[in-house]
Amino acid sequence: MNASARCLLLLGLIVTASVHAADSTDAALLQRGQYLATAGDCVACHTAPGGKPYAGGLTVPTPIGNIIATNITPSTTAGIGHYTEKQFSDALRKGIRADGQRLYPAMPYTSYAQVTDDDVHALYAYFMHGVVPVDNRPAPTRLPFPFNIRLSMAGWNLLFLDSKPFTPDPAKGVAWNRGAYLVRGLAHCSTCHTPRNLLMAEQSSRELAGGAVGTWLAPNITSDANSGVGGWSEQQLVDYLRLGHATGKAQTAGPMAEAVEHSLQHLEPADLQAIATYLKTVPAHHDPADTRAVDSWGAAFDGIADQRGTALPDDAEQWSGAQLYDAHCASCHQVSGEGSFDGGLPPLFHNTATGRTDTGNLVMVILEGIRWTDATGVHMPGFAHALSDHQVANLGNYLTLRYGNPAARITATQVANLRSGGAPSHLVALARLAMVVVVVVLILAIIVLWRRRRRRRTSSGQA
Amino acid sequence: MSGQLSADVVVIGSGIIGALAARRLAQQGASVLILEAGPRLERARVVAAFRNSPIKGNWMAPYPPSPWAPHPIYVPQDNGYLKQSGPYPYPAEYIRAVGGTTWHWAAQAWRLVPNDVRIKSLYGVGVDWPLSYEELDPWYQEAEELLGVAGADNTGSPRQHPFPMEPVAEPWSMRRFRERLAPAYPVVANTVARNSRGYDSRPACVGNNSCQPICPVNAQYLGINAVEAAEAAGAKVVPNAVVYRIEHDTKGRIAAVRYYAPDKSEHRVTGTTFILAANGIESPKLLLLSASDTYPNGLANSSGMVGRHLMDHPSTSLTFYADEELWLGRGPQSPSSINTLRDGAFRSQHAPYRLDFTNISQVLNVTNDLIKEGVYGAEFEKQLRWRAARQVNVKNVLEVLPNPDNRITLSAEKDAMGIPKPEAHYAIDDYTRRAAEASKTDFARIAELMGGTGLRYSADGQFANNQHITGTMSMGNDPKTSVVDGFGRTHDHENLFVCSTGVMPTAATMNSTLTGVALALRTAEHILPAKNTHAGAMHSGHEASLA
Repeated sequence: MNASARCLLLLGLIVTASVHAADSTDAALLQRGQYLATAGDCVACHTAPGGKPYAGGLTVPTPIGNIIATNITPSTTAGIGHYTEKQFSDALRKGIRADGQRLYPAMPYTSYAQVTDDDVHALYAYFMHGVVPVDNRPAPTRLPFPFNIRLSMAGWNLLFLDSKPFTPDPAKGVAWNRGAYLVRGLAHCSTCHTPRNLLMAEQSSRELAGGAVGTWLAPNITSDANSGVGGWSEQQLVDYLRLGHATGKAQTAGPMAEAVEHSLQHLEPADLQAIATYLKTVPAHHDPADTRAVDSWGAAFDGIADQRGTALPDDAEQWSGAQLYDAHCASCHQVSGEGSFDGGLPPLFHNTATGRTDTGNLVMVILEGIRWTDATGVHMPGFAHALSDHQVANLGNYLTLRYGNPAARITATQVANLRSGGAPSHLVALARLAMVVVVVVLILAIIVLWRRRRRRRTSSGQA
Repeated sequence: MSGQLSADVVVIGSGIIGALAARRLAQQGASVLILEAGPRLERARVVAAFRNSPIKGNWMAPYPPSPWAPHPIYVPQDNGYLKQSGPYPYPAEYIRAVGGTTWHWAAQAWRLVPNDVRIKSLYGVGVDWPLSYEELDPWYQEAEELLGVAGADNTGSPRQHPFPMEPVAEPWSMRRFRERLAPAYPVVANTVARNSRGYDSRPACVGNNSCQPICPVNAQYLGINAVEAAEAAGAKVVPNAVVYRIEHDTKGRIAAVRYYAPDKSEHRVTGTTFILAANGIESPKLLLLSASDTYPNGLANSSGMVGRHLMDHPSTSLTFYADEELWLGRGPQSPSSINTLRDGAFRSQHAPYRLDFTNISQVLNVTNDLIKEGVYGAEFEKQLRWRAARQVNVKNVLEVLPNPDNRITLSAEKDAMGIPKPEAHYAIDDYTRRAAEASKTDFARIAELMGGTGLRYSADGQFANNQHITGTMSMGNDPKTSVVDGFGRTHDHENLFVCSTGVMPTAATMNSTLTGVALALRTAEHILPAKNTHAGAMHSGHEASLA
């Protein structure tokens, strides 16, 4: 082998090596992007039931109308394939689309604003190269006036968007900072768990003090010992986020079950630990109604033994709470509400489901059950088809009285309301009313100004 | 006469088989009306009735017969609905209610083994079926995906596609049987319509061990699930409609059916196509009841075979104490069995059989035994614990050959609506009895391998009935010896079909429901071909709908 051949060979080796290095860097970047997309739970909204991942089409009901999630696959015709990294970053963190139009804050860009440039870069790489493009454009979102004017969101952003990325607090440890970054940023916990003001913006002074998501309550997860998770160990929080339940505390249902299924259970143990570390330090917000920890109420109780041998009323509307419990619940949760020995079928006492004074989630879980979309399927069947509003209220009151907070009450009207999708929102009417008020005020102001000017002009004329 | 109803397809009977045929036809756009003699039941009421009942061992207790549509009851005493004319009793149990008898089944959803449909050719006994196992395979698959069947592959029934679900978790007792009987007897998970995980919006089995009388959590597929699926597809159900007559026109086509409401008001339902799906006893009863001047022996009965070839699966059993604590009662009632004796050259000499282990809690049986023995006090508790932990039972499930003398006829006695009751003529022949004798060797060997003591064989010549009503409207190619053709169409009436385990020409060794459903789906396809379904497409389609 002569010198030039040796040179060529060497060059070849170097080139090959650098190509490999680039490949593995790209692979690592894509993998990190994928992980971050999972942490951000993008798939939850941007995938229709049974649809292709990230191809959009899911209808997200909001107080101002239905918002239809967009296709965020790298399709250049139907998705975001034509986005530059800058445009991607602006959509993610500022709520501005490539065409300059504003996004609605159903997209949690107020949280994603915390995401670092580095992580945006990884996410961009993943969405451009790691996601399969789907050339299918979902139906556009059509909100009622005035929200159909997307520019109205610019004003909203001025008021409510803090577009500064996360800056670590040097006084706190690495885990706390990582947890804060995830909770406030990609995991966008506050989107559901922080209460919102009249204009649907998160009340930052009441971080994670409890909010609403559709008909479900996203409970207080501040460090308050009674109302929040102050009484939970970090390990219990990690269990809950990883498994969907923490024995003797609570289990996920509704949208939180989705968050665990699609996002949280896939996070690295260290990240879940970091989230738990941070949550334990979120300033406590106490609800005076919670006179003890919401997961500390109740005890095993057999309300059925003394009814054995008593004939059931022919009309099931007349069944007692205990009789309804016997027919619908006891086969899994057992006659005394203690669940199964391994906690797989949870006890109904020492369970936030029965311990809250806000009984909305208890009603919702009786109506809808708990269903995961993975192979585990139905974790608890729903009873919407089998129980009337009166029966749900009757059964629910038996559960709170015997196994939970005896002060918590359910009414048939409340059940009817939740069954039909919750109380209607007045936000559209309010916004329109506000606009009418603004217009009237403006017209009045103009008239006043005009008359003053006229008066001035008249008086100057007189002068 | 009041009330006139009409539909493209009129289905008589709302059990799992009729309802799934109805569902398929409704999905193809037909208007479908299902007439059910019994009332509509609510699962919660059945569950509450069972949980609230002091008689837990009587599985029919939560299903009291209605006065207008009675069904047989034997506990505490025979209600005299199904008359017996011997020589051997045929004490069938079934439920006349919306959803039918699978309200309280063990959810055994077995396929045949391929040779079951050719026993005449292969072994010189019984008859051959007018179709092959291979022709049935895709319909089995469709049925299994509808019912949500969990199973193991090593049961002797080949398949083209995987089971919808992996087997249900193996209870400890069955694991010990499997471990201790190997390699002499392979103990395998039963093929069951029971969820081993969430499937089709229903949860996984949580082991209440009350499959019969009722699965309280909807983990087990019941006829009522099939009815709800049929209704979702657009079929309409009329409960409390006691059909008492099928009417034909001058061309021999079926024109209408007549039913009584509970107040005995009469109603007439017209239609284009009629499906008789009222089980293997009520269906032939109805055909015989509908005799006319043109058809003096009853409808579909030019062969004289309606009601004949009644079959089931008699069982004998062995109860004993194992030498270790097995604690039957955790998990489903019937989780495992031995399937190696379902086929073989011996079939020319004696019946094949499955060997089935019960997993029903023994606490109640043992308690009754101890009370009978006069044991009480501290000794009672000690004995109860010891026996309930160790008592086990293995039974055979024996094939019965079709015999025209075993039959359902109309009794001279009438029910409260004035409709003749069904009457059973039944015998168990030597072919079956020889198999019972042969299985004693297996029983003894099983007891030996389990360190068994206190062996109690069921009394010689005493057989338990398994409520797998088969035959009575057998399918075949020859109109002189069979009632329906290979697609379930009656030889005598072009627009009258039978969907029932009653069309099975032989009984084989497995619970008959799945085969009945598969045949019914095939019949529905024959009546109204689907635009875009065969088992394969259905398979992938279902997966997608679950995602």
